[in-house]
Amino acid sequence: MDRQHSRPLTRQLAIVMCAWLATVAGTDSASAATGLVGAEAPDFVLKSVDGENLRLSEYRGDIVLVSFWVTWCGDCRAQLTELNDWHGTYEAAGLRLLAVALDRELSDVRNTATLLGLEFPVTHDAGLEVRQRYSVNEMPTAVLIDRDGVVREVFEGFRRAHGQAMLDRVRDLLRE
Amino acid sequence: MYEIFELIFSGRQRRVATIAVLLIVALAGRAQAQTPAAAAVPDFDGDAQPVAALGGGAEGFRSLDADIQDMKQQLLELNRDLFLLEEELLFPANTQVAVFVSMDVGDFFDLDSVQITLDDKDVSNYLYTAREVDALIRGGVHQIFLGNLRAGEHELVAIFTGAGPHERDYRRGATLTFEKGIGPKYIELVISDRQQALQPEFIVREWE
Repeated sequence: MDRQHSRPLTRQLAIVMCAWLATVAGTDSASAATGLVGAEAPDFVLKSVDGENLRLSEYRGDIVLVSFWVTWCGDCRAQLTELNDWHGTYEAAGLRLLAVALDRELSDVRNTATLLGLEFPVTHDAGLEVRQRYSVNEMPTAVLIDRDGVVREVFEGFRRAHGQAMLDRVRDLLRE
Repeated sequence: MYEIFELIFSGRQRRVATIAVLLIVALAGRAQAQTPAAAAVPDFDGDAQPVAALGGGAEGFRSLDADIQDMKQQLLELNRDLFLLEEELLFPANTQVAVFVSMDVGDFFDLDSVQITLDDKDVSNYLYTAREVDALIRGGVHQIFLGNLRAGEHELVAIFTGAGPHERDYRRGATLTFEKGIGPKYIELVISDRQQALQPEFIVREWE
């Protein structure tokens, strides 16, 4: 009899524990960069590897995808190659791509950009100020910004399979 | 439903299965919540309500649009007043110092950045984009620094970097020692062309 009464109680306890675990696990996996979603993208100006100064706010009115990367990261290079394929297709539709390299040496960044044949602007955040402003902890991190300058999505890490999900979100924004 | 569940599993197995199912449900719910934008996309395939059903048809919409435009205008005016009020509070006239950059012609100098030092303290380091340089050449004036200084003598150093004649890297400094009185102080950094020497010229001057 006691055993029968204790069974629903155990079940309820298990439910509460599971719900709590799921919430806690979800909170821990969210990084600081994802906290920017829904907020205005912090403005910055950086020098590109071509010597041109680029200011994020000047892209207002277009969809902007900012990719934070470093030259020694294989996933970063894979993401940049994927983005390079999108550049030709979606530039006319209003997609602007901006790569922000966090390496110490500009020459490394320039060499890698040349090696990958990147056709979109590659900038160098030598002082890591932009990285701090966007609280980037993972490589690569891509920040998707809408036409009003609001951060709509933050993609952390990259695998080939993630490319399609990213592209779907970009297409959604281009349709808005 | 639970009876079927009890038939299939028993004892320890059932408890493990219950926890697994709950975890899957919780994670699925979370994954769905992470894609709000996809859910917010309006459905244009025929499920949308007719426009007229929302109230008053085209006339109603025109009136609503006018109201929205009025509110937008009021909001812009309020924002402007707040900005002026904030500036007056943060930078009162008796301590206010503002530094502006302007450009005249600019054939001999392609501006890249301007660094301002006030009394040996870096107060501004501004990188100019091509569009900003174009705006300066068209007659625009850029407020590069706005701050507070106590009354007395102060020294301003401005360092200009960019490309000079023949695309050469160019870095030039200009200084000004000025007396800050009780009124606001406005300083202009002028970049102009010296035609005779075919060189750029950097002038620092106070606005009267």
